Amino acid sequence: MVMRAPAVLCLCLAAACSAAGRKNSLAPLPAGADGVAILCGKVLTVDDGDQIFSPGMILVRDGKLAYVGERKPIPEGYRQLDLGNAWATPGMVELHSHIQTGGWGDINDMVIPVNPELRASAGLRPANPLIQRACAGGVTTLFGIPGSGTSNSGFGVIYKAKTSGTYQDVVVRDPGGMKIAQSYNPERQAGDLGLTRAGLWYILEDLNHKAIGAIREKRKDPALANLERVHERDLPVLIHCAGSDGFPAAARMWKLEYDTRCVLSHGCFDAHATAPWIVATGAPVNAGPRTMDYVVTHNGAITGTAEKYLKAGAKDLSLNTDSPVVPQEELFLQGTVSARFGADAYTMLRACTIHPARVFGIADRVGSLEPGKDADIVIRSGDPLDPRARVEMVLIDGAVQYDASHGQVF
Amino acid sequence: MARSLLGFLAFLALLGAPARSQTSAQTPARAPAAGERGGPGLALLARKVLTVPFEGVQFVDNAVLLVKDGKIEAVGTKAETAIPAGYQIVDLGDRWLMPGMIDLHSHVAGTFDINDMVYLCNPGLRVSCSVIPENPRFKVAVAAGVTTVLFIPGSGVNMSGQGVLVKTGLDRYEDAVIRNPGSLKIAQAGNPEGWTVGVGRSFMNFDLRQVLRRGKAYAERWKAHDASSGSEAPEKNFDLEIFRALLDKKAQISTHTQIFQVVLTTLTMLRREFGFDVFIDHGEMAGYKLAALAVELGVPVISGPREVEVPTRTFINWTGSNPEAILGIAAEYQKGGVKMLGFNTDAPVVPEEELPIQATVSVHYGLDDSQVESVRGLTIIPAITAGIAQRVGSLEPGKDADILIVTGDPIDPRNTVERVFIDGRSVYDIAKEKRRW
Repeated sequence: MVMRAPAVLCLCLAAACSAAGRKNSLAPLPAGADGVAILCGKVLTVDDGDQIFSPGMILVRDGKLAYVGERKPIPEGYRQLDLGNAWATPGMVELHSHIQTGGWGDINDMVIPVNPELRASAGLRPANPLIQRACAGGVTTLFGIPGSGTSNSGFGVIYKAKTSGTYQDVVVRDPGGMKIAQSYNPERQAGDLGLTRAGLWYILEDLNHKAIGAIREKRKDPALANLERVHERDLPVLIHCAGSDGFPAAARMWKLEYDTRCVLSHGCFDAHATAPWIVATGAPVNAGPRTMDYVVTHNGAITGTAEKYLKAGAKDLSLNTDSPVVPQEELFLQGTVSARFGADAYTMLRACTIHPARVFGIADRVGSLEPGKDADIVIRSGDPLDPRARVEMVLIDGAVQYDASHGQVF
Repeated sequence: MARSLLGFLAFLALLGAPARSQTSAQTPARAPAAGERGGPGLALLARKVLTVPFEGVQFVDNAVLLVKDGKIEAVGTKAETAIPAGYQIVDLGDRWLMPGMIDLHSHVAGTFDINDMVYLCNPGLRVSCSVIPENPRFKVAVAAGVTTVLFIPGSGVNMSGQGVLVKTGLDRYEDAVIRNPGSLKIAQAGNPEGWTVGVGRSFMNFDLRQVLRRGKAYAERWKAHDASSGSEAPEKNFDLEIFRALLDKKAQISTHTQIFQVVLTTLTMLRREFGFDVFIDHGEMAGYKLAALAVELGVPVISGPREVEVPTRTFINWTGSNPEAILGIAAEYQKGGVKMLGFNTDAPVVPEEELPIQATVSVHYGLDDSQVESVRGLTIIPAITAGIAQRVGSLEPGKDADILIVTGDPIDPRNTVERVFIDGRSVYDIAKEKRRW
């Protein structure tokens, strides 16, 4: 069901150059370069043409993809890695994750409600056990963010789920983007303003006006420097928002009023009821961790939220786990559950790969298997959204980070 | 006062009587639909039928399944199977058929008063009195394709009473019950320790053994009496009657047992020492290390509710097991040679509707599914384990027409159960009502 339509496409598009703008290269490996040729049963590129090559071949050169396509004679100099019938897919991309510190702690600095000066990267512990499990589950790029205990808890860091290495080895972008919690958690319990939605709204308006004022007056304020980049559309902002109240409120503020590169994250409970309006605003949705609703709307049926957003015409819908709320290694399962409750299964694979990469401005490096991009490759025994299929190998930047033949983790 | 009240009640009764009879006269019994008892035959055409007999070929492609009088009449390829005249034909296109699923460890068949904890051993208690045939949890369970459950008492004491085998989607207890007693429930350890001020493993085993010996002796006395005409009948002891069924292999012992030492006691005491038919009904934690002994003694394993052994250093550590990777319980039992391998939910511990997901998880964590072990573990294996395979567990001629229509492979959670038949009756149909699961 995943490959029917694209299988036709791949025939006509195989020769076309990729969306990343770079062309497939079958040139011999230059002296001193490191290269491996991966042969597998099926390659799901998840590129714009949704090309699928069966059987397929991938050339990895110095950590980048040099060739993704049908089987060709292996150019000189490449080592061969024959993975039999396994499927190769892009490493998954998670935009809502809190496992960078290795557990629950150290993500909420809750003394004051807005903290645009804070960065989650200070708490990043590369290759911690939770990240290692994420890697074994096929998740290779994460946006590690602070919690939702305050309205603005700071800036997150985009990093790779390598199973070893230092901070410099894993970080893709720092700050990667801002984190906002619109409602459903940041409500103040400390006796100050912000016990209600009105208070929370005011706190964020006040903060945004300060940053816009600083931009206008060219005033140097280190605490606002990163927030200014959000308003200059240099950095995206991920917004914790849910329900038919907080979800459209976030779109009103961050898309319609400030026109930031906002991504509406969660969209749980009955937020799906507002899907057509949200989609019309153009704000992309990052659904999860709860991908179905059967409690809030009380209509006696189970509603798959992803399906509702798709039906409303959502482009670039992505899925999240809010790990460790849902374990990070189960990101693919969010797609499985969404497919079970009505969403198109192949689109859900895109929602775990290219869509989140695109909305966060990192699609030039990750999210699909196209020449020129990072060689973040997940090898599975079958369909990536079928939980019976297991992750057999994970490569990040061309290096094997996980190999199930040395002991299966997940 | 009392007399006038009685008179008033009699007056009410008089008023009520004609009204009731009038109502029943107005709603005549509906004509049985195709496939039901007394109705015309039903022919289901499907892309694949997972017949899952105990032995032999496990499926038929491009198949026809004939249902008549609530039973399966025939199953075969479209080319080879003639559809008799007068049968209602339903072409299901690409959909798959499979037998209704069976959960041998469930607590959600009715009210939740399943632990009578005054005594440690209560062989006479019956949980069948708590069954509510169409309860809300069953409504969801049947929508997920679970059609038969072994409803058992809890694990608060060592011997909490007798379970009952019931079907999920039927409205009358008499129709729903398959066998009562369904099993004798024993909780070997890992919960009954909390009884009163707390009891230890050695006392629990001592106490359990005393009751088992009394029960077996009682059953043997009756057996001897039944064999020799004219002998004096032993005194009836209703507390121990279940042991006559156990001795005659008409019921099994379902055991809540999980960690190494406890599973070892289950195998050696209940099976080897007393010779009863017993199955591991809570297969989890390090019990899989006894797989070879379970095979040797012919003890089936129903795994779950926890289908994985995780590498943590919490209380699990006292089982002596601390693997470095996440292990699949079913996969480990399978590696140890166990072929009689099924899945349970211990509902509501895992929701009843997630029974097929227990199999999915097991495959994810390494269960070899090349011979559809996943589907077998939800159908024919539990049916044989509970001694009800003559009625349910596979799609073979003569068995109850408990049939699921699925959009594809039932172990892939992206697929959905669209329609459920029990005894040939359509009990759930998403074309006619809201999807429940």
